Amino acid sequence: MADSGTVISDGMAEVLRRLHLDAPGDPASAWARVLGAEGVALTLLVGAERTPEPMWCHPELSARFEELQFTLGEGPAPDAIRTGSPVLEPDLDRVRPERWPALLSAAAKLGVHGVCCFPLGIGAIRVGVLTVLCDGKRGMGAQQCADAGALAAALTSAFLGGDARRDGDGSALGVPEPASGLHRPAVHQATGMISVQLGVSMQEALLRLRAHAYGSERPLGEVAQDVVARRLRFHDDLTDDFDDDFDDDGSGPHSPDGGKG
Amino acid sequence: MIDMARERRLAEIFVEVADSLVDDFDVIDLLQRLSTRCVELLDVSAAGILLADAYGELQIIAASDEHTRLLELFALQQDQGPCVECYRTGNVRTNIDLTRPETTVAWPRFAARARETGYVATHAIPLRLRNRVVGALNLFQTTPQRLGDDDIALARALADVATIAILQQRTLEQSHVENSQLETALSSRILIEQVKGVLAERWNTSVDDAFAAFRSYARARHLRLSEFAKQIVSGGFDTADIPPPARDRTGDHHG
Repeated sequence: MADSGTVISDGMAEVLRRLHLDAPGDPASAWARVLGAEGVALTLLVGAERTPEPMWCHPELSARFEELQFTLGEGPAPDAIRTGSPVLEPDLDRVRPERWPALLSAAAKLGVHGVCCFPLGIGAIRVGVLTVLCDGKRGMGAQQCADAGALAAALTSAFLGGDARRDGDGSALGVPEPASGLHRPAVHQATGMISVQLGVSMQEALLRLRAHAYGSERPLGEVAQDVVARRLRFHDDLTDDFDDDFDDDGSGPHSPDGGKG
Repeated sequence: MIDMARERRLAEIFVEVADSLVDDFDVIDLLQRLSTRCVELLDVSAAGILLADAYGELQIIAASDEHTRLLELFALQQDQGPCVECYRTGNVRTNIDLTRPETTVAWPRFAARARETGYVATHAIPLRLRNRVVGALNLFQTTPQRLGDDDIALARALADVATIAILQQRTLEQSHVENSQLETALSSRILIEQVKGVLAERWNTSVDDAFAAFRSYARARHLRLSEFAKQIVSGGFDTADIPPPARDRTGDHHG
């Protein structure tokens, strides 16, 4: 194993380079191949109700297992969504029966022996879940875990506003890669502030922040710092986001009373 | 005498950590306490613990103080800085003089930002898990005195404690679970940043003050920071119950 933590395989690096959400076809088969998995499914949470919708599944077995988990409302994917943590059960025979009482026997009938689920999301934001089916005997190696985790992170980034990759190194649009400012504490702090300013979900707040950065052609982290320093507020207007020009000394909290105009 | 006191303090810290590990503990809070202890014991100005994410990029998980300026300095270490090097090579990097031109050449943005924040020296100690490096402990000093061999040994011990804490969140059976522990810790960290923003906006305070109020409320009631943060974000907790940070002028318009 590599000495420093998790290193993505060349195969996965290639997959991530080519990742385009609106590309034709079902990318899940390529993901399954690179991960050496029995199957891969991506389920997104859509609408205000956060309804799970399978988006890409390969092969058919994956689609059926996905349907099973969400119909029964139990299993590693619902758990991963609820907790925001990966749920890794590469050998379902070793899972306590009471954990998923209905799912386990149904999974065995389907021929699913091991499952690893990686949530898509950032902090309180939940986007969906990546379910990887694995051979119960071989399990899931560190390399596969690293690859699947990186894929989930890239997809999260892509679904939360995609092309924000511009900020850093100006690489091509639509190529979700790590970073894109999402490692900056200020981005998450600003997201929380905007969610209160607009009375919207954390997810929408982040999208609005990114849209603003995109629209004003500024790096996400820089816009976020303006929000945190209260040089920029978001207003719930039909018009675009609105800049409040407070005195720009950048130090100390301003307490303008006009927050909720 | 000083060394005796320090050894006793170290022993106390190990006991404190061991006590925390028995239950379903709050990893972020524990790592923050540990960072504070690093500052005390090693006589440095600031300490932070960084973990590698799924891409192998370092993310800050806890720091001795939560000032955004310090957090941003840790956040800069994506592609440059002593922690990146320490993570890649697995070697301890100590007594790095931030004022020397070599340092600026090696890590221009990091060195400039660190000096702006008032630091003149920095150290990075790997967080090791068997043959893997999973992150780094990063120390900063505002004064130029050197860390000696004893200090470095102590810093390594504290880094090991941090690694153990991260991996002890639940029982470990298989090695791949370790990766998910790291991911979970990072995700909790981001959730806490989001909550800082929510509270700062509701109370019209700085995010730093909002966090201080949030944390003291959680600690006094033995709430796990990440669980508590989750409740606040989901609307399951009325934040009007938390005493807002004291300010010289009242700016709170919650409730």
